[in-house]
Amino acid sequence: MSAPKKKTIQIEAFRHRVVADPKYAEKTWNILEHAIHEIYNHNASGLSFEELYRNAYNMVLHKFGEKLYSGLVATMTFHLKEICSSIEAAQGGLFLEELNRKWADHNKALQMIRDILMYMDRTFIPSAHKTPVHELGLNLWRDVVIHSSKIQTRLLDTLLELIQGERSGEVINRGLMRNITKMLMDLGSSVYQDDFEKQFLESSADFYRLESQEFIESCDCGEYLKKAERRLNEEIERVSHYLDAKSEAKITNVVEKELIESHMQRLVHMENSGLVNMIVGDKYEDLGRMYSLFRRVASGLVLIRDVMTSYIRETGKQLVTDLERLKDPVDFVQRLLDIKDKYDKIIGSAFSNDKTFQNALNSSFEYFINLNSRSPEYISLFVDDKLRKGLKGVSEEDVEIILDKVMMLFRYLQEKDVFEKYYKQHLAKRLLSGKTVSDDAERSLIVKLKTECGYQFTSKLEGMFTDMKTSEDTMQGFYANVGADLGDGPTLSVQVLTTGSWPTQPINTCNLPTEILSICEKFRNYYLGTHTGRRLTWQTNMGTADLKATFGKGQKHELNVSTYQMCVLMLFNNTDRLTYREIEQAAEIPASDLKRCLQSLACVKGKNVLRKEPMSKDIADSDAFFFNDKFTSKFFKVKIGTVVAQRESEPENQETRQRVEEDRKPQIEAAIVRIMKARRVLDHNNIVTEVTKQLQSRFLPNPVVIKKRIESLIEREFLERDKGDRKLYRYLA
Amino acid sequence: MRKEDTVKLISAEGFEFVIDKEAAMVSQTIRNMLTSPGSFAETEHGEVTFPEISTVILEKICQYFYWSLQYARGKETEFPIEPELTLELMMAANYLHT
Repeated sequence: MSAPKKKTIQIEAFRHRVVADPKYAEKTWNILEHAIHEIYNHNASGLSFEELYRNAYNMVLHKFGEKLYSGLVATMTFHLKEICSSIEAAQGGLFLEELNRKWADHNKALQMIRDILMYMDRTFIPSAHKTPVHELGLNLWRDVVIHSSKIQTRLLDTLLELIQGERSGEVINRGLMRNITKMLMDLGSSVYQDDFEKQFLESSADFYRLESQEFIESCDCGEYLKKAERRLNEEIERVSHYLDAKSEAKITNVVEKELIESHMQRLVHMENSGLVNMIVGDKYEDLGRMYSLFRRVASGLVLIRDVMTSYIRETGKQLVTDLERLKDPVDFVQRLLDIKDKYDKIIGSAFSNDKTFQNALNSSFEYFINLNSRSPEYISLFVDDKLRKGLKGVSEEDVEIILDKVMMLFRYLQEKDVFEKYYKQHLAKRLLSGKTVSDDAERSLIVKLKTECGYQFTSKLEGMFTDMKTSEDTMQGFYANVGADLGDGPTLSVQVLTTGSWPTQPINTCNLPTEILSICEKFRNYYLGTHTGRRLTWQTNMGTADLKATFGKGQKHELNVSTYQMCVLMLFNNTDRLTYREIEQAAEIPASDLKRCLQSLACVKGKNVLRKEPMSKDIADSDAFFFNDKFTSKFFKVKIGTVVAQRESEPENQETRQRVEEDRKPQIEAAIVRIMKARRVLDHNNIVTEVTKQLQSRFLPNPVVIKKRIESLIEREFLERDKGDRKLYRYLA
Repeated sequence: MRKEDTVKLISAEGFEFVIDKEAAMVSQTIRNMLTSPGSFAETEHGEVTFPEISTVILEKICQYFYWSLQYARGKETEFPIEPELTLELMMAANYLHT
C-alpha cells in the first residue's frame, strides 16, 4: 500500500504459510488449466476471477512460477493448434473469415488469461526474463497459426488475390482485409513486412509493369497519365482503407517507378500527344497531371523542364529568325508577348508556379530574344506604336499591364543600350509631333526603366520631357512679348531641344519660305535676348506644319505636313508647275529627304496634293510636278506623310549599331577606370569579368572591345602594364 | 446510487462492503476483475469474495480506496494506519495491486 506513513514501525521477516500438500502445485495448476480451456471454449461465465487470480498468485508466491508459465505455454499452444486445424479446414472464401474470427477469439482469451495471470506478469516474468503473457500469446499465434505451413502461403495468396481482384474492379470485403492486415501488424511490423508487404510490393510491381506496357502501347500520353493517376490514387486509397500507413510510401514508390519513371521519356516525347503537343494545345489539365505525377519521381520535373525549355527555345528561335515576321515589328513583339502569356499561364495553372520553371522560361526568352539583334529596336517600336495609338481609350490599369509586359521583355535584352538609343529616337519623334497618347503612360514607362536600370539610363529621356515643358513656357513668353507685332503671319511653335539629350542627327538645313524665316528670326532674337550665351540651330528635319490650301473647285483643306513638305508646297504658291531640279534648287533639301517627301505628296492615293509627270511610283530627277487642282478628300484635315516610325533599313541599322558601339567605348573605359581606381592592380581576366558585371545591366561588352579600351587607356597613361607580369595592370593616379 | 456503479466486496468472514466501482478500481486487480472481456462471475454479479482477507483489513482497504481518490484529486490528508495492521495490509496491497 502506497500510503504515506509517519510512524516508524518494525518489520520482521514474514513467512508465507508453508504448503504441506506436495500435490498443491499440481492441483492449483489443474484448476487454472481447466479455466484456460473454458476460456477458449467460451465458457468463462461460471469462473471466478478472484479464485483464479488467487490461485495464480499463490503459485507464484510459492515459487511455482516456472510451472505456471510452462503450463500456460503448453496449454495455449495446444489450443492454437486446434484453432489452426479448424482454420485450415475452412474452404475457399471462408478462410479469411475463419482466421479473422479465430483471431478475435484468441485475442479475447488472451486478454482474460493475461488478466488472471497478472500477478505472474508483474512479478515472476520480469525477474525470470520471460516474455510477458500478451506478447507470448501473439508470438505463439504467429508461430503456430500464421507460420503453419498450410496457412502461411495460403494467407499471402488470398490477400494478394483479393487485392488483385479489387484492382480489376471487384468489390472485396475491406473490413476483413483491414482486420487481417491489422493482425499482421499487431504481430509485429516484421511479420507484416515479411509475410505480406514484401510480396505485395513485388506482385504490384509485376502487375504494373505489365499494365504500363499495355497502356503505353494503346493510349496516348494524356490518357496514360489519367490512368496512372487513377492507379496511384487507388493504391493510396487502398493503403488508407486496409494497409499499414507506412506502406503508402512504398507502394506509391512502386507505382511511380513502374508507371511513370520507366516510361517517362517515352511519354514526354510521345508523338502527337506528348508534352509539346500539350503545350501547343494549351491542355492545362493534362499538363498539370503530368507535373504532379512526374514530380513524384526523381528527375521527372527536370525532364519536363528540359523538354519545355528546348521547345520554347526552338520555337522562339524560329519566330525571331523568321524573316516574314520581322517585317512587322509590332506584330513581332505582340507575338513574343503572346508566347510569354501562354507559358505564364501554363506554369501558373499547370505547374503550380514552380520557380524553376519560371527561371527556365526566363532564360529561354533571354536566349532567343537576343538571337535577333533587332529585338531592342522592335520592342521600342512596339512601345512607340502603343503610345501613339494602341493605348487610346484604354484604361490606366490596362496601360500599366501592357507597359509591365514590355518591361519584362526589356529585362531579357542584353543590349539595353541599343534599346535606349532607339527609344530615344522614337520618343523624340513622338514628343515633337505631339503624337503621344498619354503623358502619364510615357512617364510611367520612364519610371519603370529608371527602377530597372538606374538614373543614368533615363536621365536623358527625362531631359527631353523637361525640354518640352520649358519650350511651352518659352512660346507663351514669346507670344506675350512680341505677339502684337506679328500681325497675320504664320504661327510658330518652337521646341528648344538641349543638345545631348536628344538623338543627334546631322543638321540638314533647307531654305525656309520667307514668311517663316521672318518669324523664326523674331523668335531667335527673343530667345537669345532672354538666354544669353546660347546657340540656336533649326532642326528643319524634325518639324511639322499645318497649311491651309484651296483647291480647284474652291474646296478648302487643312494639310498637316512636315517642314520639308511645307517648303515644297509653299513653292507652288507662285506657280503650278515645277520640275524636280527647280524644287531641289529652291528648297535645298537633301536629295533623299526631298524624294521621300515628294513621294508622299504626289504618289499616295487620296493624299496626292501634287501631280507628277510621268506617273510612276518613284521619283526621278527628270520628273515634273503640278499642283493637283482636282484633289478631293472626305476629310477637312488631311495628314500627309506622317512620320510614323518605321523599322530601319539595313544601312540605317548598320549606322545605329555603329553609333551604339561608339557610345559603348566611353562606358567601358569609365568602368575600367572605376574598377582600377578601387583595385589599383588587377590582371586582365579579372578586369574583363568585373567590367562585364558592371555593364551587364546595359549591355554585354565584347572582351575584344574591352581589351582595345584597356590598350587605349594604357596609351593615354591611365594604366600601365606591370613590369614583371605582363598580364597585370596598374592604375596610374 | 445505481447498482451498476457499485460493487460488493465480501471479506473472509462474510462481511459485505458495498462501495463505488470507481473507488474499488483503485485496485488494479479489482479493476481487471470488473473489466476483463470474458464474463467472469465477478463481472456478472458485481460482487467479489476475498477468502483470504479479513473484515478488519478489508474495511481498512475500503477506507483507503476513498482516501486515495481524494488524495489523487489534490486533498492531501494523512491516512492513519494502526501498526498492528501494517503487515496484513501490505500483503493485501500486494495481492490487490494497489
